[in-house]
Amino acid sequence: MVNPISYWRLKDRYFNLVGSKCKKCGAEWFPPVKVCRKCGSQELGDHEMPHTGKLLTHTVLREPADEFKRYAPYILGLVELDNGQRLLAQIVDVDITSVQNGTPVRLTLRKLTEDGKKGTIYYGYKFTPLP
Amino acid sequence: MSKVFVASAGLVQVGEHWSKSILDLMAEASLLAMNALPDAKPDRVIVGNMFSGVGASQEHLGALLASQLNLIGVPAYKVEAACGSGGAAVHNAFLSIKAEESDVVLVCGVEKMKDMEVGRVTAALTMADSAEYTQFPGGTFISLNALTHALYLKKYGISREEMAGFPVLGHRNAALSKHAMFKKAITAEDVLRSPLISDPIRLMDSSPVCDGAAALLLLSEKKAKELHAEAVEILASEVAANLFSVYERPDPLDYLATRTAATRALERTGLKLDQMDFMETHDAFSITAALTLESLGVCKPGKAPHDVSTGRFDLTGELPLNTFGGLKGRGHPVGATGVYQVAEAYLQLSEKAEKNQVKGAKIGLTHNMGGLDTTTFIHILRRAA
Repeated sequence: MVNPISYWRLKDRYFNLVGSKCKKCGAEWFPPVKVCRKCGSQELGDHEMPHTGKLLTHTVLREPADEFKRYAPYILGLVELDNGQRLLAQIVDVDITSVQNGTPVRLTLRKLTEDGKKGTIYYGYKFTPLP
Repeated sequence: MSKVFVASAGLVQVGEHWSKSILDLMAEASLLAMNALPDAKPDRVIVGNMFSGVGASQEHLGALLASQLNLIGVPAYKVEAACGSGGAAVHNAFLSIKAEESDVVLVCGVEKMKDMEVGRVTAALTMADSAEYTQFPGGTFISLNALTHALYLKKYGISREEMAGFPVLGHRNAALSKHAMFKKAITAEDVLRSPLISDPIRLMDSSPVCDGAAALLLLSEKKAKELHAEAVEILASEVAANLFSVYERPDPLDYLATRTAATRALERTGLKLDQMDFMETHDAFSITAALTLESLGVCKPGKAPHDVSTGRFDLTGELPLNTFGGLKGRGHPVGATGVYQVAEAYLQLSEKAEKNQVKGAKIGLTHNMGGLDTTTFIHILRRAA
C-alpha cells in the first residue's frame, strides 16, 4: 500500500506521467525502466509522457481493495498513450454503461486514496474522455 | 546429476479451515507425506507461500515448519513467486536433488486466506503485480485478468457463454475428489448468473478464496532405489519470467513465460506435447485457462473455449485437464497450488487418483503461474517403466 514517502518519491510519475527515455535510441517507456527494452542501453533519463491517448479496453471493477471501495463500481482502463506506451488507470467523468473502447482520453489529476481523515491525501493520474 | 523422484504426497482438503493456523495446515500436510514413507528423513525443508506476512503476520515459514516437525539443523526456508510459490518450492527442491546436495526434500505449499477480510485478500493478491503502477491507481489482480478476458472475447468474437466451459469442467472433476474444495457440479447457467466481480469476470469464473496445504517428499535416485520408491520421476522442472505487468507486454494475450518454460521442458525431455496423458494447469480464471492452453499450443488461438465444449479435456477425453478440479474446483490456496498440482500428477501416475484416475496415465504436465504469466513453472512427470 502507498505511504507518504513512496508517494513523495513517485510524485512526478503520478502527477505528470514522467517515465523514461533512452538516450541512445530515443525509445520512451512508462512505467520507467532501468535498461532500454529496445536497444539494451542503461543510459536513460526521465521523460514526460504525452498526456493523451486512447482507451484500448476496460473493466468495471466491483470488488476493489478496501481503500478504493468508495468509488466502486468504477472503470479501470488499459490506456495507450500517443507514444504507444500503455498503462492502467481509472477512467472518470463517464458512466460505466456508456464508456466506449477506442475513445480518445486525456490525463486528469484526481484524488485516489487517503490515510484516514487526518492523513495524507494521495492524488494521481486518472483519464477522462476528450470532449 | 541425480534423477528426482516423488515418493509421497500429503494433501489437506482445500476449504475454510477456521480452526487451523497456517502452521497447523503445513504440519498436517507434511506429516501425511512423511508418515507415508517413515524411512525417509528430510534433509531439507522448502516451503512455498505467497503472503503469510500480511495474512497471518508470520514469515520465516521454513524454520517454523522444520522446528515443529523436530527437524533441527536441516536447511529450511520459504520461497516466493506469488501464486507460483508452490511451483517455485518444487523447482527449488528439484534443483537441490539434481545437484546432489539433498537426498530427501520435504516440499510444502501453504496459504491461509480465509482469516483475512475479502478486501484485504484482494489487496494481498494484487501484490503479485506492481505496487506502484497497478495497486496505486486502483487496479486489482482480477481486473488485470478481466482486461485480458475482454481483449480475448473481442479478438476472437467469443461470447461470455462459451467461456463457462472451464469452470463447469473444474467443478465436475472436483466433485469426485477427496481433497477438492467444491463437491458440486455446476452448469454454464450458474456461471452466467453469478455476480460480476470485474467485467467480464464473474464470481464463478474465478478460483475461490480458501485455505490449504500440500506436501511432497522428493527423493534422489540413490535414496529412491534404497527405499524402492522409484514409481514417479520428475523429468523436468522449468521456469521462465515474462515482462512484469500485462500492460508492459507487446501482446497482452501471449503467455510468453508459459510458452518458454514449456518449450524448454519438452526439449529437455525429448517429449512432445501430444504425449502428455493429462495436464494440471493454472486456471485461476476462465481466461487464464483458455490463454494457457493456447500458449502451450494445446489449442489453436481462439479455439480453447470450443475445444473444452467438445469434451476433449474431460477425464475420459483426449487430454484430461485439471483432473481433480484445477484451481477453480479443487481451490487455489495461492502459494500451495503448485504443490497440489505436482501431488495430483503423482496420484495420477501412481494409480492413486481413485475416482479421478486417468486410465493408464504415464506422463503428465503441471503448469503454475505467479502473477498473470509473470513467472511460470512447468513440471513434467513420468511413471516408471
